[in-house]
Amino acid sequence: MDEDQTRIVTQARGRDERLDERVHCLELVDGHGLVRRHLVGSAGAVVGRAAPADIILADTEVSRAHCRVALEGEGLVVSDLNSTNGTFVDGTRLTGAAFLPVGAVLRVGRVSLKHEWRTCLEVVQTDQLDRDLTRASAYVQALLPPPLVQGPIRADWLYQPSAKLGGDAFGYGPLTDDLFLAYLIDVSGHGAGAAMHSVTVMNLLRQHALPSTDMADPAQVLASLNAMFQMEQHAEMYFTMWYGVYDRRSRRLSYASAGHHPAFLVPPAGGEFTPLRTRNGLVGAVPGKVFVADTAQVPAGASLFLFSDGVFEIVTNDGQEWGLNDFLPLILKPAVDGLTTCQTIFRDVTKAARPGGFDDDFSLVVLTFD
Amino acid sequence: MEMRVSEIDGVKKVSLLGRLDALGADVVETQFSGAIAPSGVSTIVDLSELTFLASLGVRMFISTARALSWRGAKLVMYGARPAVAEIIETMGFGDIVPLVGSEAEALALVAG
Repeated sequence: MDEDQTRIVTQARGRDERLDERVHCLELVDGHGLVRRHLVGSAGAVVGRAAPADIILADTEVSRAHCRVALEGEGLVVSDLNSTNGTFVDGTRLTGAAFLPVGAVLRVGRVSLKHEWRTCLEVVQTDQLDRDLTRASAYVQALLPPPLVQGPIRADWLYQPSAKLGGDAFGYGPLTDDLFLAYLIDVSGHGAGAAMHSVTVMNLLRQHALPSTDMADPAQVLASLNAMFQMEQHAEMYFTMWYGVYDRRSRRLSYASAGHHPAFLVPPAGGEFTPLRTRNGLVGAVPGKVFVADTAQVPAGASLFLFSDGVFEIVTNDGQEWGLNDFLPLILKPAVDGLTTCQTIFRDVTKAARPGGFDDDFSLVVLTFD
Repeated sequence: MEMRVSEIDGVKKVSLLGRLDALGADVVETQFSGAIAPSGVSTIVDLSELTFLASLGVRMFISTARALSWRGAKLVMYGARPAVAEIIETMGFGDIVPLVGSEAEALALVAG
């Protein structure tokens, strides 16, 4: 019996020691926000565009065999292999071999790889977390409505979840023959928990299933959600929201926002926008709260821009922090040939943002009313 | 992101310095609520050196204020820069965590 116990303890310690061992990682956050991690072992690794490179990057600015990363002592050393476009460490082009400190960014072509020194346990856990987040993200995306390309109300959207999945969700569709509803929610925090919370709310709204609630009344909808989703019963999560109902007969849009920045109505000629916002607190934060709504007339051909704060809360290439006002000029720009309005805006924001993906989900919906 | 904790006449004072962005929120949230909520002592939060507040950073204020209110204590913010004040105003959580201009006003509010 004693021998068995000793053996078990020894095995557990051996396993812990392996998990505590550190490995060098080159990590890439791609355009979809997902981390791709390359481990660099004792044999080192060649980075290039094609096999036999060990780390293959599909980028035309990367040479077939671009640079070599080697393990020296406890650190990594990188040397350029006569690449066409050079190898950079933290923005400085290499002229010979150079030390690659932990936290430094190695740039080859248009790809940036960050050097991290992680325990095996961290690698296992983050890989599992990435898989969970990918599954949660896929679930949210499966519930988003298809774009409406024809008909009196057209809808287009772009949803780009962040690496940590930020809890955005949105939807739109007919409520009756004459009424059309649209909404966007942004759950506090991030991760699979925030995403699942947003999915729960989205499913209720999709099915028009709020108890004793007139879905055509935005103030009632927010009050009903506030009653159902008090944060102490939902893992301390609350959410911000914009909700609107458009009446095709009167061209009137009833709307309410809660803790959310405005949606913006842009006339067909462009050139100006009208912010649509009501002053309400967060949904789920205060029990029994009364919510207020407002209305706006929608000119023929006008577009409604509805988005999450992840669209404008970025840090630019030169380290400036954007606010809403930095973003708004983009909604007045015409779409670039071959791209939709949403794609054009996403391209412009991506161009302005520093590399490394978005901190928060990017959710943008554009509705156009004939 | 840096956090400093001190005390003024039995009221806890927490100063937040730097950027409270998505990354900073992960790091500071636990420290912030851990420094304030368990004590149950009314707390004022100096935002004058907070240069940026992302919406993801707001949750820690709300959770901590709620934890204090269960013990009859208050959380009050003061001295926010315009960009930070705008986020607080947009998210409309001033009725949960009041925002005032000066330290003296914040102290008066927690005493009241």
